Amino acid sequence: MSTPFRELLDFDVATLSTKLRAREISPVELTEAYLGRIEQTDGPLRAYITVTDTLARKAAKKAEAEIAAGKWRGPFHGVPIALKDLVFTKGIRTTGGSKILADFKPAHDATVWTRLNRAGAVLLGKLNLHEFAYGITSSNPHYGIVRNPYALDRIPGGSSGGSAAAIVARSAAATIGTDTGGSIRIPAALCGCVGLKPTWSRVSRYGVLPLAYTLDHVGPITRTVRDAAMMLQVIAGADRNDSTSSRERVPDFSVGLDSEITGMRIGVIRELNDGLSDDVARSFNTALETLRSLGATVDQVTIPSLPMAGIMNGIITWAEALEIHEEWMRTRPQDYGDDVRRILEIGMMTPATSYIRAQRARARTLAESIAVLSNHDVLVAPACAIAAPKIGTTHILEAREDRVDVVAAILRFTQPFNTTGQPAIAIPTSLSPDGLPIAMQIIGRPFGESEIIRVAAAYERARGALAPPPEIA
Amino acid sequence: MPLVTAETVKQVLRDLYGYQITDTDAHSIAHGAGAMLTLAGHLGSIGIAGIEPPFSYAVLVAEATRAAKSKS
Repeated sequence: MSTPFRELLDFDVATLSTKLRAREISPVELTEAYLGRIEQTDGPLRAYITVTDTLARKAAKKAEAEIAAGKWRGPFHGVPIALKDLVFTKGIRTTGGSKILADFKPAHDATVWTRLNRAGAVLLGKLNLHEFAYGITSSNPHYGIVRNPYALDRIPGGSSGGSAAAIVARSAAATIGTDTGGSIRIPAALCGCVGLKPTWSRVSRYGVLPLAYTLDHVGPITRTVRDAAMMLQVIAGADRNDSTSSRERVPDFSVGLDSEITGMRIGVIRELNDGLSDDVARSFNTALETLRSLGATVDQVTIPSLPMAGIMNGIITWAEALEIHEEWMRTRPQDYGDDVRRILEIGMMTPATSYIRAQRARARTLAESIAVLSNHDVLVAPACAIAAPKIGTTHILEAREDRVDVVAAILRFTQPFNTTGQPAIAIPTSLSPDGLPIAMQIIGRPFGESEIIRVAAAYERARGALAPPPEIA
Repeated sequence: MPLVTAETVKQVLRDLYGYQITDTDAHSIAHGAGAMLTLAGHLGSIGIAGIEPPFSYAVLVAEATRAAKSKS
């Protein structure tokens, strides 16, 4: 039980789990290492809103005693994790990244935390996010600007910016994020870690502060594909507290982790293969070559209505988010950050007819995607058009020198799969010449998480390790 | 592009939400909303005839059952 501090932090969950079970490392020692790391990094990083150090130490001691007594709860037993601060934790403040909920202490746990808690995970704290999860920068006006561990002057993406930053900065072993238009995959892509958005309804939304009921997904952000699969295994499955949670059988997500992908058919989505920065285009093409070298067949596919899926997502989010925020917009509009209040105000102009039409149109895009997936195993696309922009950047220049809105350029690649509810995993492909992470996403059939995990794991093995971020002082 | 005017925006915020905004902000919101309505108008052109909105009666019944239990 004397593994060096830094080495403890470098272990992924799969390794930690083996060592914790074998009692080669102690949950108490591990938790102390993580709490020390949070103290060391979170001044500049602002990944955490609340650190639950007292509770974490207590949980770690309990885990240590249970493991010593042979009461093994599973692979997350004694593993220090953290939750996006919109996941309800009984008696622990859950702000949603907002001033409005600054003192809110839920009376019950979210199902996702209930399941992780039952599995023996140690809660380090609650992670910073874009206010109310309604944005992609995580530049939070109330709890500080979350910074990208690879370059502190750049955004980590959002809305689960703290969840991804903490993974890459080694200040949590695994985290939970949520994704309504890309909020798991975007920060994972921009920070250089793995983000898995499961199929809509695969993971219970009970006790998770909603942004848009019919588009919200809950999922893992982790260092490796294996860790994401392990975490999904714990949190997936029907929940009597969430009537929309699926009763679809939960498979063993670890089954394909070590499988080859020879003969698998991979479709490159034509509608998401333009408008890329040169670095992203190069990295994506190299990733496709890697997939071919692994024996997969890679060809281009088309989903004609996909360019409209972003507007469907936008309209539905405008309407559903406003319904959730309406009372606060009447009574406390001044307590919102400017950007979130503005987008809620635009939502006030959304006619009910547009909302219903957007809901109906979702089936068209999903139908086209399912048709393509009838003769392909998975689809691939870049996760974002660009690497992480500098904090405060609003527009980028494309090669043809049009000014392109940063938010639109980033969301365009992720929103469609919230609209269709398909599972999608973001995985880093390389670092850009200036040292910023770049990523692709792998998209599957509804409830086809196993296939995207299998392809992502094979790709991850072939890609090898990314260079770590610079040390955070 | 459908016309959402700054005046309409100001009136909605004032009458329905009880606060006032500047002309500049109202123009910005009107522009964003107008663009959204234009794009929303195109959704009918991608072949949605006969497609129902994805609202499930099974979920309605389950929510009612859950709500009834939590009341009792």
